Amino acid sequence: MTRAESCRIIMHVDMNAFFASVEQQRNPELRGKPIAVIGRGRTVVTTASYEARAFGVKTGMNSWQAKRACPQLIFVVGDNRKYTWTSTRIIEMMRDYTPLVEVFSIDEAFLDVTHSLEIFGSAERIAALLKERIREQFGLTCSIGIAPNKMLAKLASEMKKPDGLTVIEPGEVKRVLERLPVKELCGIGRKTERQLFLLGIRTCGELGRFPVAILRNKFGIVGDHLSRMGRGEDDSPVIPAEEAAEVKSVGHSMTLDTDINERREILTYLLQLSEMVGRRARRYGVRGKTVTLSIRYADFDTWVGRQETLSCYINRSEDIYREITAILESIVLTQPVRLLGVRLSNLRYDSDQLPLLTEQRKELFLTDAMDAVNDRYGNFTVTFGSLLDAGKLRDKGSKVISPAWRPDGLRNVEVK
Amino acid sequence: MEFKILKEPFLRALQRVQGIVEKKNTMPILSNVLIEALNDNIYILATDLEVGIKTSHAATVIEEGKITVSAKKLYEIIKELSDEEITFKTKDNDWVELKSGKAQFNIVGLSPDEFPYFPRIHDENLIKISGSMLNDMIEKTSYAICHDETKYNLNGIFVKAVEDGDRKLLRMVATDGHRLSIVERELSGSICPELSNGAIFPKKGIFELKKITEDVDDDIEMTFMDNSAVVKKGDTIVVMRLVDGEFPDYTRVVPANNDLLVTVDREPFLRALKRIAILSSEKFKGVKFNIDPELLEISSSNPEIGEAKEEIEISYTGNTMVTRFNAKYIIDVLSVLGDETVQLHMKSEMTPAIIKPASDDGFQAIIMPMRL
Repeated sequence: MTRAESCRIIMHVDMNAFFASVEQQRNPELRGKPIAVIGRGRTVVTTASYEARAFGVKTGMNSWQAKRACPQLIFVVGDNRKYTWTSTRIIEMMRDYTPLVEVFSIDEAFLDVTHSLEIFGSAERIAALLKERIREQFGLTCSIGIAPNKMLAKLASEMKKPDGLTVIEPGEVKRVLERLPVKELCGIGRKTERQLFLLGIRTCGELGRFPVAILRNKFGIVGDHLSRMGRGEDDSPVIPAEEAAEVKSVGHSMTLDTDINERREILTYLLQLSEMVGRRARRYGVRGKTVTLSIRYADFDTWVGRQETLSCYINRSEDIYREITAILESIVLTQPVRLLGVRLSNLRYDSDQLPLLTEQRKELFLTDAMDAVNDRYGNFTVTFGSLLDAGKLRDKGSKVISPAWRPDGLRNVEVK
Repeated sequence: MEFKILKEPFLRALQRVQGIVEKKNTMPILSNVLIEALNDNIYILATDLEVGIKTSHAATVIEEGKITVSAKKLYEIIKELSDEEITFKTKDNDWVELKSGKAQFNIVGLSPDEFPYFPRIHDENLIKISGSMLNDMIEKTSYAICHDETKYNLNGIFVKAVEDGDRKLLRMVATDGHRLSIVERELSGSICPELSNGAIFPKKGIFELKKITEDVDDDIEMTFMDNSAVVKKGDTIVVMRLVDGEFPDYTRVVPANNDLLVTVDREPFLRALKRIAILSSEKFKGVKFNIDPELLEISSSNPEIGEAKEEIEISYTGNTMVTRFNAKYIIDVLSVLGDETVQLHMKSEMTPAIIKPASDDGFQAIIMPMRL
């Protein structure tokens, strides 16, 4: 381990059964009971409470599988808006201890507290303060791992759940990793695990000692990285949101409640997605030159995606929809559609130049006026006539919290 | 065919067509020049199907005929020859032999039969227009041409003849959707129906037209045929296919009641704008105008670099007004004006402004402000 690395102190905070816990706090009747949060219209378990996990209920199970594992299980339809709101507040709290907070997902974050110790004493004290405040304000628990780098901090937080606080001291790294199965490391999935197993590598200790040349031969440059992981080395910095690479695109996708075939219905969803993408692009004052349509079929494996680069930069929903429709025309759909996505990329900042021609100016002011109403009274308050189709009105907004969700900036996708 | 020609005029003629030949190589023949030897002249033709040019040059023709060869390669070869006289001779199967001093080239050409049709003009229909006037009019409008190819009807200059009382005027209009430039000048002689209706001259053709009218006081001659405009000056003929589209109704864009008048000296205004514009970035483009009686403050700020401001003296009697413009649009206008004093006619922060030279009634530029 390099010296620079050995003096860092990184903390990983993992909210325990986040969605389920938020629901249990909101509704006291659910506390202490096995509950499972499921998506609206879908019947897959998103998060199970610890009570339910004791019965073997797991994320990703069908509702009937879950019910079989735990007959008294209570299903709660997820309310993503609640989760993003709570997450944003918790991240604000973390920033009281260090500006170096990297939001990893809605319920996980890394904190670099190396330079906060002069004020707060020790990392353990920061962890205790943070846990206390989260419990006090939201009634939620979290597991915190403290270690010399991000990879080990994440590993540490996994070690005790729920409500854990685990410290891996620099001197303990070797001992901890020696008998740890490789799959426990963040970034080693089932496929890599199997490939390592073929080389006779089961534990991190074995991985760290394994000749790098052979790993490099098999995995390319990832081989070097794997070797370092096996030794517990990770020099990746904690990157706060403001410093994260500039956002390159604005996109939304939507998993449909039922698989659809009907072109008219696909177009309705695409208009809705175009409006969501357009609204977000306009809110952040960007325009894009490339539009991408992605479609996932009912078999969930096949992707169809196509992009088109235009000669001018657009951000009006109508313009995005027009281009997306043109792309759809060029695709022959071979199966019912399960997911639709619209993306605007190749971005540049909007110059705020008003058009000279009266018609175009009117269009722009109309969009402005619609945005102003929707900003105030909620998305889709004023919208396109073809979206007023009764059955669909309830479903506006992103129904999935993407892994790229962040509490601030362009990635702060409003969810429902 | 066979002819002898001097290097300098041949080179100049070939250089002239380099900008016309098709570079995308979609049709190989369009990358070639057609060279025709007839009587004691050679004719050089090039076209990209949108704009075509034909020039003629004195040469010693030994045998008449025609051939096409790569415009770029021929130009490169002629450029590097060191002897004065060049012999150009066709051989079987469209091969060309070039000789100059001890240097000899054999290059492969394409059959002249494949070369696109070039209109033959009839002298009786030609109308005469002053070359220098045309050049000045293009100069004062072409900066506003739209370069976004999807807005094809804006990719050129709208040219129209209008009658104002007993005066006949030639008007040119260009716009990119954010700003618009109109210039009109008195026209003597007859007007053809194509000009009365108005036609959109393509951008590329306009630039060729500007080139042939540079530094000359002679008249040029113009006519229309086959949806094309044909312009003749001396030995050079330029043909351009008119843009097939509707030019927007620019008369509705020109504001009528812009009562707030700012008068300012052009030179200091232009210099100040160029300075202040340095701190307007892509992200925060635009300069702010703070217009007070007697004083205009131009400012810009760029969170990543800093801010700048400058005051200049103006004559203005209205109330204080704050507005924002893309600095480039105003710089473009001021750069093509020769006058000492310019006027800004405005109405409000969010409506189009007019810029005019104080002494020229025939020109106005309309610029749409930016959002504040």
